[in-house]
Amino acid sequence: MRWRRILLSRFFIVPAVLLLGTGAWNVYVDLHAHGLLEGSVIDAAGKPVAGATVILSVHDFVTQVEKARTRTDAAGRFRFDDNPSHLIQLQAQDGTEASPRVTIRLWFRGQDRVVTEPLRLAPNA
Amino acid sequence: MRKLWWRHAALIVISIIMLAPFYWLLKTAITSENIYEYPPHLLPVRPQLFNFVDVWYLIPFPRYLFNSIVVSLIAVAGNLVLNAMAGFALTLPFVGRRSVIVLLLSCTLIPFQATIIPAYLITAHLGLLDSYLGLALPLLSTIVCIFIFKASFDAVPRSLIDAARIDGLGEMRILLRVMLPLSTPAIATNIVLSFIWSWNNFLWPLIITRSQDMQTLPLGLARFLSYMEDTTGALYAFVVMVLAPGLLVFLMAQSAFMRGLTTGATKG
Repeated sequence: MRWRRILLSRFFIVPAVLLLGTGAWNVYVDLHAHGLLEGSVIDAAGKPVAGATVILSVHDFVTQVEKARTRTDAAGRFRFDDNPSHLIQLQAQDGTEASPRVTIRLWFRGQDRVVTEPLRLAPNA
Repeated sequence: MRKLWWRHAALIVISIIMLAPFYWLLKTAITSENIYEYPPHLLPVRPQLFNFVDVWYLIPFPRYLFNSIVVSLIAVAGNLVLNAMAGFALTLPFVGRRSVIVLLLSCTLIPFQATIIPAYLITAHLGLLDSYLGLALPLLSTIVCIFIFKASFDAVPRSLIDAARIDGLGEMRILLRVMLPLSTPAIATNIVLSFIWSWNNFLWPLIITRSQDMQTLPLGLARFLSYMEDTTGALYAFVVMVLAPGLLVFLMAQSAFMRGLTTGATKG
């Protein structure tokens, strides 16, 4: 009876719910934090661009450091396998053309993500 | 009935005025608006929770959180044990009891800032600088909480204590078996007050911590403010994250806390 009262009190239930929530979130993070980042690059006409360079920069409030770069395949798609951050910027470059820098915010470091909006190349100003 | 309606309306207005800063804090934390923006938006524009993620990763927030939790738990445990014993002692008759009470009450008039150098020297002599115990040391016992226990123990009928003595219980067992089970509001008040004081303590941790690994959340907030002053949303997200545990503890123990503060007020 005494244990039942303790288990049903808010002093037990609230911390237990918080602990369970934290545990579940950590399991989710562990299963989805491989640093995979995929997307595509298109030109001004909307066609996929093969061989474009995509630069991944880790961004914070004060600095922005280039961490990795890759090239798009024949379908204009790119993939990073080791994104280390939760706040990144992507930019595509191809010859004299470049896309605007796109800031991507993730819920945790290295979250697997497919960038649905393609990086659109435009002539450099 | 009409009178009651006005009273409720007045209370609602006062509550809105008092809660408005908290609303503004929360609103700024979930947007990236500049707090000085004019005209201000009453409702959040494009709310998002990424500011909380930024705070978690851009500073060692988990470390600060862990330190604050450990220090607060030590302070709460110390407060419960030491204040209960001190409060009980003050209900017993002994020579100079009145002087001790007057001395303790007069000590509440001395601001902590005035005693911070002796407190620092004592902590240094004990070898507790830059340690969890050292961080919790000045809050291990607080005079206000001693008197909360004393008021609660004074409300326990003398006959009950006399009966326990006749049954052969010693003073410590009377405290543990009779007084404390009858003083749950005082215990809740002690927990809430010592937790919040320890959680929000800024000056003492600032003075006695040497390494960044031992810093607590209020120090982390000051550090965050010093090098990320333009990031209003993240700064206020940090403030919300610092405030949340204290609010949670208070809300959980709210009713017992109120009873604990008023125990003894209606005595006699």
